[in-house]
Amino acid sequence: MSLISRRNLLVATLLASAAFSPLAFAQDYDADATIRIGSLYEPQNLDNTAGAGQGINEAFNGNVYEALFQLTDAGTVEPKLSADYKVSEDGLTYTFTLKDGVTFHSGEPLTAADVKYSIERVTAETSKSSRKKSLSTITSIETPDDKTVVITLSARSISLPYNLSYVWIVNDKAADITATEDGTGPYKLEEWRRGSALSLARFDGYWGDKPTNGEVVYQYFTDATALNNALLTNAVDVITSVQSPDSLAQFTGNSAYTVTEGASTTKEILAYNDRVAPFDNVKVRKALARAVDKAKLLNSIWGDYGTLIGSFVPPTDPWYVDLTGVDAYNPDSAKELLTEAGYPDGFEFTIDTPDYDPHPLVAQFLQSEFAKVGVKANINIITANEWYTKVYQEKNFQATLQEHVNHRDIVFYGNPDFYWGYNNPEVVKLIAGAESAGSVDEQTAKLTEANKIIAEDAASNWLYLYPQIVVSASNVTGYPVNGLNSQFFAYGIQKAK
Amino acid sequence: MTAIDQITTPARRRSWQSVTLWAGIILVSLHVIVGLLTLVWTPYDPSAMAGGRLEAPSWLHWVGTDRLGRDFLTQIMIGSRIALTVGIGAVAIGAAIGVTLGLLAAFASKFLDDALAAALDILIAFPTLLIAMLVVAASETATLGSAILALGIALSAIVARLTRILAKRVLLMDYITAARTSGTSWLGIVFSHVLPNIWPTLSVSFALQFGLAAIAEASLSYLGLGAPPPNASWGRLLQEAQGTVYTAPIGAIAPGIALVSLVIGINLLADGLRDSIDPTRRAR
Repeated sequence: MSLISRRNLLVATLLASAAFSPLAFAQDYDADATIRIGSLYEPQNLDNTAGAGQGINEAFNGNVYEALFQLTDAGTVEPKLSADYKVSEDGLTYTFTLKDGVTFHSGEPLTAADVKYSIERVTAETSKSSRKKSLSTITSIETPDDKTVVITLSARSISLPYNLSYVWIVNDKAADITATEDGTGPYKLEEWRRGSALSLARFDGYWGDKPTNGEVVYQYFTDATALNNALLTNAVDVITSVQSPDSLAQFTGNSAYTVTEGASTTKEILAYNDRVAPFDNVKVRKALARAVDKAKLLNSIWGDYGTLIGSFVPPTDPWYVDLTGVDAYNPDSAKELLTEAGYPDGFEFTIDTPDYDPHPLVAQFLQSEFAKVGVKANINIITANEWYTKVYQEKNFQATLQEHVNHRDIVFYGNPDFYWGYNNPEVVKLIAGAESAGSVDEQTAKLTEANKIIAEDAASNWLYLYPQIVVSASNVTGYPVNGLNSQFFAYGIQKAK
Repeated sequence: MTAIDQITTPARRRSWQSVTLWAGIILVSLHVIVGLLTLVWTPYDPSAMAGGRLEAPSWLHWVGTDRLGRDFLTQIMIGSRIALTVGIGAVAIGAAIGVTLGLLAAFASKFLDDALAAALDILIAFPTLLIAMLVVAASETATLGSAILALGIALSAIVARLTRILAKRVLLMDYITAARTSGTSWLGIVFSHVLPNIWPTLSVSFALQFGLAAIAEASLSYLGLGAPPPNASWGRLLQEAQGTVYTAPIGAIAPGIALVSLVIGINLLADGLRDSIDPTRRAR
C-alpha cells in the first residue's frame, strides 16, 4: 500500500473517531493522566519577553498564561480573559471589561492593573518580544477601576485583539518570571529540569473548564530521530514536529499510532533581493516562478504531504485565495519572459542557503530547474546565524531560501525595508490601510487585494506550505493540530484508561 | 624463537604482504578508474532528476535514487573523483608546506628549531578537522578549493614534524660531514642526500594522510563546510541520506562503503609500500 492511501485511511479513521468519541468514550479517559509531549524546542528561560524562544510559547501559551484573547486551533480570535470590549467611533479607544472570578496561581485576583503591567512588559524598552512592534500604536493604558482597561491608540489597529492574544497576563506582583511563573491558566508550573523536561500540573483554582488530564510534561530532545524513537519506545505520548515524511513510515500503518495532518503556516520560499538587478525586474521574477515544478519539489521533500499555495498566504489566514494558477509551471513561457526582460541567454546568481534540511536539497532542485531555462544558480551554504546577519540585517544577498513560520505575515510585504526589499506603493498602502480598517471585512478585502498583487508581481518565489503533522499513541486524543509554531493547548488532551 | 619459525615466518610474511599490497592496489585503482571515468561518462547527468523519489535499486538505477530522483550510483562515482582530488590536492599542499618547514627546522639554529618544533607540536595538538574548519570558516564561501587548502594546511604540521626528525637523523651521518667537507652546498646536500634518504618513509606517510584527508573531507562536507552542492561529495551524500535512513538505508550505506573501501585501500597500499621499501623490515 502506498503512503498516501495509508495516510488517508488514518485521517479518515481519526475523523470518524473524533466524530463519535464524545458519545462512545465520554467516560473512558483517565482524568488524572500524565500527558508526555515530545518537543524539539526547549525554552531558554520562562519569559516570552526575555528571548526565551518559540518553545516557551508552545509550553505556556493558553496552558500556564492566558491573554485577553485567544487564537483558537481553528484560527479564530476569541475573548479569553476579556469578558467584553467596546471600540470608540474613531477606532482609537478600546475599553475592555475583565472576566470575574479569575485568580492567579499565587491566589491573587486578576485586576486591571495586572493587564496594564502585562502589556507594558511587552512594549517596554528592554522587551525582546516579537510582538513589540505590532503593539507600538498603543499610546496609553488606563485603569479606571479594577475590572476595566482602556487602551488608547495613535492609529487605528484592527489587529489589536489578535496582537493581544500573544500578550500573557502576568500578576504585577510577580517579580521575575524567567525561572518561575504566575499566570491564570489551567496549569501551573510544577518543575523545569533544564535540558530535559518541563512539567505542568493542573491548577485546581482555575476559573474555566477543568483540563481533561492531571499533568502535562514537555520532554525536550535535540534531534528529530531521538524524538521519533521516544514515541516508538513509549517514552512520550505525542510528538509535535515531524521533520520529514520518511520518519513517518514508522508510524503510518501501525494501529498503535495516530498520524494527523493539520494546517500549517510555515512557508518555504525563495526570496529574491527585489532591490537589485535582475530581480528588480518583475518579468525575471515571474520567469523564475514559472521555471520551477513546485508539485515535483513538494513531492521530493515531503512525499504526499504539504500544500501548494501560489503566494505567501496559507489557507488559514482570512485573506487566502488560491493563487497557484498565477505563474504556474511553464518553462517555455519562462524562457520567453527572460528574453523579453533582456536576458535571452539567462544570467547567473547565488542562492544563500541555510545549512539545515530541507534548504540545501531545495536549492539543488532549483538549481537544476533554473538551468533548464538557461539561468545558472550557485549555492552558498550558510549557517542560521550568518543568514541573520548577512541576509536579514545587512540585506547583502541576491536570493535566499528561508522558511517563514508566522500567521498573518503578509504584512511583511508592506514594509519596503524588510530584507527582501519588495516595494510596491500600492501594496504598502493596502497593508497600512488594512491595519487601520474600520471592520474585519474591510481588512480582509484589502489584504486579499494585496495578496493578489504580490502574486501577480511574483514578489518572491513561494515554493510550498509545509505540512503540520502530529503523531501520537493511539490512546491519546484531543490535542491541537493546527498552526503549532506558537502554541500547543494541552488542556483538552485525553488519555484512554 | 625456534629454528623452524625463523625459516617459515619470512616466507609466509612476504606472501601476506603481497596480498595486502595487491588488495590495496586493486581497491585504489578501482576508485582511480571510476574517478577518471566520470570525467567523460556517468550513467546519468548528476543533476538530472531522472527517476522517482527514493527509488529502490533496479536495472535502471543500480543503487536507487535520492529524494530528488537523482541517480545514486552517478553521485557516488563522482564522489570518488572528489575524494581523490581532495586527497591528492591536500597531500600535495601538505607536503609542499610540511617538507619545506621540516627541512628548515632541521637545518636551522637551535633557537629557531626549538621555536618551530614547539609551534608544530601546538598545531598537531589541534584535531585535523578543527583546523580545517577554522580555515574554511575564515574564507568567504566554502568551495572544493577551500576544503583542499584547509586540509592541506592541517596535514602540513604532521608532515613537517616527521620531515624534521628524519632529516635531523640523516644530518648526523658521516657522509653528510664528508659531503660538507668536500664543499657541497646545503641545498646540494638536501637534494642529493637528505631527500633521497627520507623519501621512502615520507611517501608512506603521504599515503596514510591521503586516507586521512579523504575522511576529513567527508566530515567537512557532512557538516556543510566542504564542497558546496551539487558537488557529490560522499560526506554530503551521507548527510542528505540521514533523514531517510529508515526508508532508504542504501542512500547512507552506499557512500559509506565507497569511503571505507577507498580509505582501507589506501592504508593497505601504504602498509605494503612500507614493507617493500624498508630493507630492515624486509630482512626480518
